[in-house]
Amino acid sequence: MQSFVEQFTLNFINGNRYQYILQGFVNTLIITLLAALLGIVLGFLVAIIRSSHDKTGHMKIPNFICQVYLTVVRGTPTMIQLLIIYYVIFATVNVSKILAAVVAFGLNSGAYVAEIVRSGIMSVDEGQSEAGRSLGLNYRQTMQFIIMPQAFKNVLPALGNEFIVLLKETSISGYIGLTDLTHGGDIIRGITFSPFMPLIAVALIYLLLVTGLSWCVNKLERRLRVSER
Amino acid sequence: MNGKVLLETKELRKDFGGNQVLRGISTQICQGEVVAIIGPSGCGKSTFLRSLNLLEKPTGGSVIFEGKEITAPGVDVNKIRQKIGMVFQQFNLFANLSIQDNITLAPVKLGLMGKEEADKRALDLLARVGLPAKANAYPSMLSGGQKQRIAIARSLAMNPDVMLFDEPTSALDPEMVGEVLELMKELAKDGMTMVVVTHEMGFAKEVASRVMFINEGMICEENEPQEFFSHPKNQRLRDFLAKVL
Repeated sequence: MQSFVEQFTLNFINGNRYQYILQGFVNTLIITLLAALLGIVLGFLVAIIRSSHDKTGHMKIPNFICQVYLTVVRGTPTMIQLLIIYYVIFATVNVSKILAAVVAFGLNSGAYVAEIVRSGIMSVDEGQSEAGRSLGLNYRQTMQFIIMPQAFKNVLPALGNEFIVLLKETSISGYIGLTDLTHGGDIIRGITFSPFMPLIAVALIYLLLVTGLSWCVNKLERRLRVSER
Repeated sequence: MNGKVLLETKELRKDFGGNQVLRGISTQICQGEVVAIIGPSGCGKSTFLRSLNLLEKPTGGSVIFEGKEITAPGVDVNKIRQKIGMVFQQFNLFANLSIQDNITLAPVKLGLMGKEEADKRALDLLARVGLPAKANAYPSMLSGGQKQRIAIARSLAMNPDVMLFDEPTSALDPEMVGEVLELMKELAKDGMTMVVVTHEMGFAKEVASRVMFINEGMICEENEPQEFFSHPKNQRLRDFLAKVL
């Protein structure tokens, strides 16, 4: 017990070292939230372009661009994407590391969200769309009021999973020298040479965050399912 | 039969990748007519019906609705479809919306009615199809027969000039067929123009003003029901009737 208190004091209290973790926690939250937002916007856009193309044959060029985007993002490691965005693409402009990370993780997540949402759109029965069109609603109205609400409900578990993955993936932000939660804990380890406390603390915080996120997704799922029984 | 021509097809053709499903169908449907379309499965009767509101794009020939060729390029199909109701075999009620919203969605979003007016109309229609208590229910809570009656109400909410029925009772349990046919009978009595693809020979006999037999993508025979069923001339039709009656 004695050593636990000592260790705790050494790693978190002395020199206000807890602030590394606190700052990292805040940064991780900011990056995850903004990247998720960017990912959702991008993902829905790409999914709608891709499924509209499959259905109507229109939008050949946007569809081609989307396909290149999906191939590149899903075909290369996230860490390489992060490094390229920070050290190559943003090399000559002075942007904050946070922004670079948001762009990298947002672009990355968008590709996965796009395929999740597209599968959701395809999972909605063709008859729903035919019924909408037969009443005189146009393609956009049918998508907006009938297909997308059902698609969204169908893919909510998969989307929740994607954001859990995203949250944990931000732990590579340290590679561009950004103090995220993981990096914050690691800095303490570097100072105190005691790995146990800071790493376990970081792991617990991630676990808490993910648990909270799952809880939110479950709650939303249950609310949306009201219409089914 | 002596009303003005509402819907007309001229040499209507449809290929699915070399497979000719419709091979030149020409017919006229007049105001107030109830046309029953029968035929063996795969004969093209559903494709023909779905071509009338362009859910299937014909590959040849034309469809003329209220004097306007709707297969011509540049025609606003959405505008036309507002006047052509359709009822599907699988009901296709919007699963994400309550019954009331199913009925009001199109009239409201298309700017034909305000929300309040549409709601009132929805309640009237629900009373008419005998389901006044279901306004706040969701499609998954209803039986097949109830769903199909709601689908008819949804279609009626647009005040269509003609209604297309694509095997409206084929997906129903036997004991629910009656309630849907009864409602369709009432519609016919009220003067609604109807085109009905069906396997219900009783309905065709009793309600239709004309019965049409389609085989291999062509109209083989059409006549008023009495003559059609008692004195079929076409051999294929005789074989078909021998099997189903």
